[in-house]
Amino acid sequence: MIAVERLVKSYRATRVLHGIDHAQARGETVVLIGPSGCGKSTFLRCLNQLEIADSGRITIGDITVEGGHAPRTREERERQGQLRRRAGMVFQQFNLFPHLTVLQNVTAGPTIVKGANRAEAEATARELLAKVGLADKAGAHPGQLSGGQQQRVAIARALAMQPEVMLFDEPTSALDPELRDEVLGVMRRLAEEGMTMIVVTHEMQFARDVADRVVFFDRGLVAEAGTPEQIFLAPQNERTREFLRKTSTR
Amino acid sequence: MSTVSGLGRRMLRTLFTATALATLLAGAASAWGAEDTLAAIKARGVLKWGADAEGGAPFVFPDPQQPEKLIGFETELAVTLAAKLGVKAEMVQNQWDQLTPALLRGNFDLILNGLELTPENQQRIAMSRPYFVYAQQIVTRKETAGLTRLEDLKDKAVGVLSSSVAQRLAEEAGIAGLKIYPGNVESFRDLKALRIEAVVLDLPIAIHYAKPDATLKLAGPAFAPGYYAIGVRKGDAALLAALNQAIEQLAADQTLQRIYEKYGVWDERQSGLKDFQAEVVEQKAAISTLREWPKYLPLLLRGALTTVELSVLAMALAVVAGLGLALARLFGVAPLRWLATAYIEVIRGTPLLIQLFLIYYGLPEVGIRLNAFAAAVLGLGLNYAANEAENYRAGIQAIPHGQMEAALALGLNRWQALRHVVLPQALRLVIPPVTNDFIALFKDSSIVSVITMVELTKVYGMLAMSTYDYIGLGVMTAGIYFALSYPASIFASRLEKKLGHDCR
Ligand SMILES: Nc1ncnc2c1ncn2[C@@H]1O[C@H](COP(=O)(O)OP(=O)(O)O)[C@@H](O)[C@H]1O
Ligand SMILES: [Mg+2]
Repeated sequence: MIAVERLVKSYRATRVLHGIDHAQARGETVVLIGPSGCGKSTFLRCLNQLEIADSGRITIGDITVEGGHAPRTREERERQGQLRRRAGMVFQQFNLFPHLTVLQNVTAGPTIVKGANRAEAEATARELLAKVGLADKAGAHPGQLSGGQQQRVAIARALAMQPEVMLFDEPTSALDPELRDEVLGVMRRLAEEGMTMIVVTHEMQFARDVADRVVFFDRGLVAEAGTPEQIFLAPQNERTREFLRKTSTR
Repeated sequence: MSTVSGLGRRMLRTLFTATALATLLAGAASAWGAEDTLAAIKARGVLKWGADAEGGAPFVFPDPQQPEKLIGFETELAVTLAAKLGVKAEMVQNQWDQLTPALLRGNFDLILNGLELTPENQQRIAMSRPYFVYAQQIVTRKETAGLTRLEDLKDKAVGVLSSSVAQRLAEEAGIAGLKIYPGNVESFRDLKALRIEAVVLDLPIAIHYAKPDATLKLAGPAFAPGYYAIGVRKGDAALLAALNQAIEQLAADQTLQRIYEKYGVWDERQSGLKDFQAEVVEQKAAISTLREWPKYLPLLLRGALTTVELSVLAMALAVVAGLGLALARLFGVAPLRWLATAYIEVIRGTPLLIQLFLIYYGLPEVGIRLNAFAAAVLGLGLNYAANEAENYRAGIQAIPHGQMEAALALGLNRWQALRHVVLPQALRLVIPPVTNDFIALFKDSSIVSVITMVELTKVYGMLAMSTYDYIGLGVMTAGIYFALSYPASIFASRLEKKLGHDCR
């Protein structure tokens, strides 16, 4: 479902990703952990083309994009768009559109990008809002919602594009602890339904319960990967052990 | 009369309304403390005479061979008169249409600069016996035929100098297409650019400027003669008597003829000067335009309508063009981005006045001939477009980057993300500053009088010049501006509060 080969990314002179390889099956949930600044966000942003990799190859479903340069031809732009449509993204800061209602946030993608019929898009959006537990907030503006509610709308907004893969970049880090569970619950259900997901998070309990595989990033490389049991109970890499010791005492 | 004027005068003219009030009040104060000016002149050995050298040839103007020296028939007359009084002459430069207030203020002893001997002028100052007989002249392009009398000009586009005798005569003759210029050079330019069919102006100026120009001609005989006379403060009876005696002698001993022939302005009419008999001018009560508001307010309101039309159209242009410029500057491909940036910086870094002149007088030279209204809308609109572009740019840049990223991540392309996500939010941010700019433009629009637009401030200036009621008209004019701009500023501050509350 996802195949990343030798992904390299630099910001100006600083190399952030040093050649990442990653393969992930359909329906698999991968939790990405690692110290701050090791390149987790950059990795996700390369996957959905918010950043253009220096080199390497990214495949999601049947679409492959090569790194090296921003799309130049019409065909390259089209391919980039298709890759993006296959990946839904949920940001740490929610990034809901404040001038639109909750319902309009969720229908924006389908109506603008796919030219979907408004009534159909709204029906789908209401189903998705019900699924994240916010059926009654369709008419509200994002500013009227709590952080946890906003993040659930953001998940619904991404799902409305019917992505094959969902990317989560620290979706609960900006939330007060008591609001995190409602978001994690939605993600848990999504994983159970068979969505292919990559989740960057510091929620180790979530990783233990939900991840099929845990990947530990360190300084722009995959340092260690394995089942939650392998990583949490018997980490092989010294840096993994050190990272887990620090997070568990936090 | 008023003669050719330079850039300086045009700018001052738009400012004069602001300063007129102060000048008048100061003038009234100094008039109370008047002493005998003739005695003062003799005591200091210098006669100070007020004139405007920018008024130009052949009256008072810098010698082309020796630019620091003034010549002209009025210059020589002033020197001759001073000699008769046994003193030296010293010219005091003053903007032409402000000579009377400056005299009343005490800036100089007398005005000797094409001041017409009219009952209106005699309401405020005392005037000597005339020293020159002027007349009006029609000037057309060489090939134009049949426009030799004022009646022939009725349905034609005709240029006159602001506040001149020609303007008054043309208005009285009911000329429909009257265009009013701040200076003579501009009216001749428009005549050559085919914007107008004829110019009516003082004969000496026509002789000096139009006669040597092969593409223009003096059409028909001069008409509507009148007198130039020297103006002094009322109460300066001794000075006035001395001047009258001196002028009479200069007319009788043919000194005037000698001076005028030197500048090519002597004609048969001047020989009547020595036999002039003054008529008694009856003193009229000062006009209160406030008391007679039904007569003046409609005229001002008609000017206000032009101001509103102009401002609304110019702002519409600015808002649309500004958005295009901001998008080009922020998101355009390289050459487009540079062009937009250069445009914005150049427009913001140069005076609106120059831009208006270039559009109105410059473009015809490359074959683009806009009428004054179109030029005014274009000039104001393109100027404000640069400001609006910067407003938009600030607004767009104030939207967090995460908004664009979230839109792109959803699959929108850059343009869709701008149009559906970034711009709708940015536009809310820029509505208050854009509304404030609209109010500023509304008030700035008075500057277009320099390209012959008659809008509210210009109507005020014209009425004030003929009634001398700067205060009454000023109150009405300011009231109209305020009545129109205050609702807009209330709207702006309401909107600012409302948007501040419900966004985010
Ligand atoms: N836009 C950027 N420009 C320059 N450097 C960046 C940019 N984004 C991230 N970086 C740097 O790249 C490195 C990896 O960042 P990031 O992928 O955000 O790490 P993580 O998400 O794992 O904390 C960090 O050192 C960060 O400072
Ligand atoms: Mg990060």
